[in-house]
Amino acid sequence: MIEVKNLTFSYGKDRQALHGLDFTVEDGEIFGFLGPNGSGKSTTQKILTGILTGYGGRVSLFGQDMGAAHTQELLEKIGVLFEFPYLYTNLSAVDNLRYFASFYPRERVRDVMELLDKLEFKKDYLKKPVSSYSKGMRQRVSMARALLNSPRLLFLDEPISGLDPSGAVLFRRIIEEERRNGTTVFLTTHNMMDADLLCDRVAFISNGNIAALDTPQNLKKQNCMDSKEPTLEEVFIQYTGRGLEE
Amino acid sequence: MKGNLVTFLRKDFRLCVSGKFFLLALGSLILYSSYINLVYVKLDQEIFPVYRYDPGKVQGECAAGVTDVGSLEELEAACEDGYSVGLHITGDPGSGRKPEIMMVSCGVESLDHIREAYARALLFPEDREDGPKRDSRDALGQAGIIGTNTREMKSRREITAEFLFFELAAVGFLGLASMLFKEKQMGVIRVHAVIPVSRVLFILSKLVLILLSDLLFAALLTVINLGMKEGLRVLPGVLMQAGILSLVMALIGFLCAVVLPDFKQFSLIYLVLAVFITTPVFLVVQTGVEMDWMRFHPMYHLFTAMKNAYFQISSAQGIYYGVCAAAVVLLFMAAQWGLDREMKKEG
Repeated sequence: MIEVKNLTFSYGKDRQALHGLDFTVEDGEIFGFLGPNGSGKSTTQKILTGILTGYGGRVSLFGQDMGAAHTQELLEKIGVLFEFPYLYTNLSAVDNLRYFASFYPRERVRDVMELLDKLEFKKDYLKKPVSSYSKGMRQRVSMARALLNSPRLLFLDEPISGLDPSGAVLFRRIIEEERRNGTTVFLTTHNMMDADLLCDRVAFISNGNIAALDTPQNLKKQNCMDSKEPTLEEVFIQYTGRGLEE
Repeated sequence: MKGNLVTFLRKDFRLCVSGKFFLLALGSLILYSSYINLVYVKLDQEIFPVYRYDPGKVQGECAAGVTDVGSLEELEAACEDGYSVGLHITGDPGSGRKPEIMMVSCGVESLDHIREAYARALLFPEDREDGPKRDSRDALGQAGIIGTNTREMKSRREITAEFLFFELAAVGFLGLASMLFKEKQMGVIRVHAVIPVSRVLFILSKLVLILLSDLLFAALLTVINLGMKEGLRVLPGVLMQAGILSLVMALIGFLCAVVLPDFKQFSLIYLVLAVFITTPVFLVVQTGVEMDWMRFHPMYHLFTAMKNAYFQISSAQGIYYGVCAAAVVLLFMAAQWGLDREMKKEG
């Protein structure tokens, strides 16, 4: 699904963000991309979603080289959930979703009401403006927007942030469901528990380099200390020498 | 593509409504029209009060705009303010009129001459057959009338052109920028980077909305203040100039809003634009101030073209329209670059 070879990117002469990343993400996989702020996670995701160009190396999505792929066609097949719930606050959840849905081919678009229902969105807020929603409700609408076009590849940036425990469980269940339906998930997060619970494989990124890439179980096994299995966060610190919140 | 433009337009329309943009435009329309009709056209009617003392009844009936007084003392008292002008008519009916001008100097010699000329002009209006025969080139004689405008219609055309220029240059510019700042604040511009939308349409829909709103505003302002007949006569030219100005200002507003990080910086740019760029244009066109460099000022040409449109003078040449078209294309490209840059920003 995603193939990245020797990916480099620089924001100017003195700001090299990526130093030659290599990784692949298989079809139907949930791939975790973990790293502290400023490690290169967002830059990588922006390159994969076609926002940033001018990178070095090779990136292919759906078996097609990003440089040669028609961006509009590519965007029809992906869904993106941003870290913050970016929505039109003067519009309602339904109006927001209908607006964004109008840009996709009809055959790809899911039913807005069904999606909101699946995300357990409060019905009495359906027609109220987003400005009156809590962060959790906004996050639900954002997730619905990311899923609107039945994406084959889903980019999720901190999907669980801002959700209460029941919301977090719901989101994990939805992500699993999407994967079961054949969607590939590229999950960017600080939350090691989410990564451990959801991801088939994780990559640790630090200072623009991939420090480790394997299944969470293997990474933990390989880094056992005193016969006690470490947490994924402890493994991350072992590889990078940094905590995720840095 | 057409469907997407309609979707964008609907969304932008709702943003404008929630931002009270149309309400602001309606408020401006009411304010400008009320000022023009209730205040401006009534100003400048009586420049200086003129009083007449005519004990021998030499002149007969009092001319319009002249107030009769009953004694010389009364005349002197009325003229003490350095503003009013007194006319003491002496001589007998057979000898013709020999008015003596009485006034206290206002301190500016040239203005005193104007006061005197004005009083004499009232006393000897052109249409009075019993007035003395004067050379039409007499320094104190009346100016010939060029064109068919009455003084009121000329005032209406001038002030309507000025208000429309101000509205499009300042308020329209702010309207688009505030709409875009709202979208920036909500972060939704970045969402458009990952959905299959045309960035050209994203800009175009805002331009179309602002353009339509500005054209409607221009048409209403013109018809309300010039009257239906005169308004419709000048409307094609006015709409053309309003359209050009609206597009240019909307694109500048768009560019500033996507490039500048917050509304505070935008306000500063807005002030600079209003004070240092537009003010000299108003000064040169409306007063006697001369600035040689003004012909290189783009707003000067836009303003004079707008004014000329109101007087049905087709001064704008092909080169003017060529430069305007080039400016719109360049600004559109710059807006696209700015939008692209905003979309790439960190979340």
